[in-house]
Amino acid sequence: MSKYLIIIILMVLSWQTVAVNITVKNTKDEPMANAVVWLTTKNGSEIITPPDTPYAMSQKDREFTPRILVVPQNAKVEFPNADSIMHHVYSFSKAKTFELKLYKEQPKAPLVFEQTGVVELGCNIHDWMLGYIVVVDSTIFAITDEAGKVDLTASKGEYTLNVWHSGFSDISNVESEDVSVSSKPLTYKIKQTLTEQIEFATDEFDDY
Amino acid sequence: MITSNLLRLALLSCTVLFSNALSAQVKGLLQVRAVQGDDLLSWQEGGIGLYRHDSKSDELILSQAILDFNIDLASSWSAHGVANLNQDPDVGLGFTQAYIKYQPLSNSDYKWHIRVGGFYPLMSLENPDIGWTSPYNYTNSAINSWIGEELRTVGAEVTIKRPAKRFNSPHSFSLVGATFKGNDPTGTLLSWRGFAMHDRQTTFNEGVRFAPVAALNDFALRWQANHVLPFEEVDGRFGYYGGVHWDYLKKSQFRIYYYNNNGDPTKLNISTGQYAWDTRFTSVAWLYKFNKKTRFIAQALNGKTEMGDNKLIDNAFYSHYFMLSHKEGKNRVSLRYDYFEVTDNDITAFDPNSSHGEGLTASWRYAFSKNGQIGIEGSALKSFVENRVAMGLQQRASQQQIMINTQWKF
Repeated sequence: MSKYLIIIILMVLSWQTVAVNITVKNTKDEPMANAVVWLTTKNGSEIITPPDTPYAMSQKDREFTPRILVVPQNAKVEFPNADSIMHHVYSFSKAKTFELKLYKEQPKAPLVFEQTGVVELGCNIHDWMLGYIVVVDSTIFAITDEAGKVDLTASKGEYTLNVWHSGFSDISNVESEDVSVSSKPLTYKIKQTLTEQIEFATDEFDDY
Repeated sequence: MITSNLLRLALLSCTVLFSNALSAQVKGLLQVRAVQGDDLLSWQEGGIGLYRHDSKSDELILSQAILDFNIDLASSWSAHGVANLNQDPDVGLGFTQAYIKYQPLSNSDYKWHIRVGGFYPLMSLENPDIGWTSPYNYTNSAINSWIGEELRTVGAEVTIKRPAKRFNSPHSFSLVGATFKGNDPTGTLLSWRGFAMHDRQTTFNEGVRFAPVAALNDFALRWQANHVLPFEEVDGRFGYYGGVHWDYLKKSQFRIYYYNNNGDPTKLNISTGQYAWDTRFTSVAWLYKFNKKTRFIAQALNGKTEMGDNKLIDNAFYSHYFMLSHKEGKNRVSLRYDYFEVTDNDITAFDPNSSHGEGLTASWRYAFSKNGQIGIEGSALKSFVENRVAMGLQQRASQQQIMINTQWKF
């Protein structure tokens, strides 16, 4: 009975769904790419049902692809290895501690990420590989593009806007702000300077 | 002894693999070449030619048949082996590497690992491909031709690394230290043949024969066999090496090593005819990527070797190379210049060891599929070797070699 009630409520709410455009800027007012943005409802009434199909954090050309993956709580994530060599992926993060030895064309069963938080990934063989899985208590999330923008679809109402970036000095920290969602675009300016991300010129012969 | 232990290690690894159905990564390379060789008989056949091939090998040759396996024993333990099948000078199967690696997973930003068994010290940047082959030229530099034939560690090596990314720094540093047994006769080929240029790695169970060097008929060298068994233990002493790797954004990669086999030059194994040579050298290697496509690699090696009582043989050796390699789509073109020399510093008149030479090698490789590749290479070298006179030959030689290769990797 309650299921039907929820569906009816959702249907009614969906009539008020809007596309909200959010821009994230850094302390110098420049657009900030690769920031994870998600909205959580103020009263915590959002029902998080992760999709049945698993998300994927691949390893390609000795890098994590994508570098940053956002998933809702309890989502399944698989780790396909697209390289011809082995990877030994691990995490010591509180939100999920694990290790997986991944061979080419020998997929392992997906992992379930039950706890929210930032999971920092490394490879024990290729120590320059660094990736993140951000587990959020929301299904309304996206990563900013080069213009620092995301388009989220949400019902009108009061939310907490959450922003995370891998350049935060404490990567387990999230910046948040209460927002009122309508069709009006929003801008969020982060409160800290980012640690600069270093790009490495790696290739197929660098693990020697 | 060492060889049989290594084989036992490899067999044990295989047993563990099949009994527990553990995960493994097996890779292979098959390479076939047609060579237009030089007239001078190759060093492999007991000649004075400095290439792997000669006019006798104007036919199809199986130049590389490599099986490289990596078996997981536990989370932090793995077994590695490289088996090589060779056709020249004789058909033979053996291992060029066989070792156990312990690489603990740790939350620390510093990483470390240990290798125990038989392996190459990672002092060169020319041979990062499967089974220590080069993705650039087919014929290795003089330095790495020598390392491939006479240098191998049978011992334990520790590496401590400060990976750049963990410190959000552009610089990575590794400290490497090793101690080993065996490898006492290393330096023999440099003294009696000089540097050469080839891609024929010596397996643990192989020896390399000499040309009919006249000095070997002298009474003082009556115990010396007419081949070298480079990985033998002769004097019972431990050798050692240490190295530093410094990477900047992986764009610039620098490695410096000091190697000393700590050989006792007065020791000799009469039954195998092998002396301990006191061989020590410094190797400096540098790789620089101008961009994603073009890179420069250079290496220099400078050292000394001594054998026999009262410095019967006392030689210094030096070599360097410069290589430029460019990759454009499925094509890779590599050009390398080599210089090499051995200086005789002893007063033993019957055994002159001086030699020097230089070489130019140009290769083009084309990947016709994901696993298949064809390529051609032309190489020219000129050399001067003092002891050729006593064999009734010219001291100076000029050689050329052209080859077409096709290979398949899996």
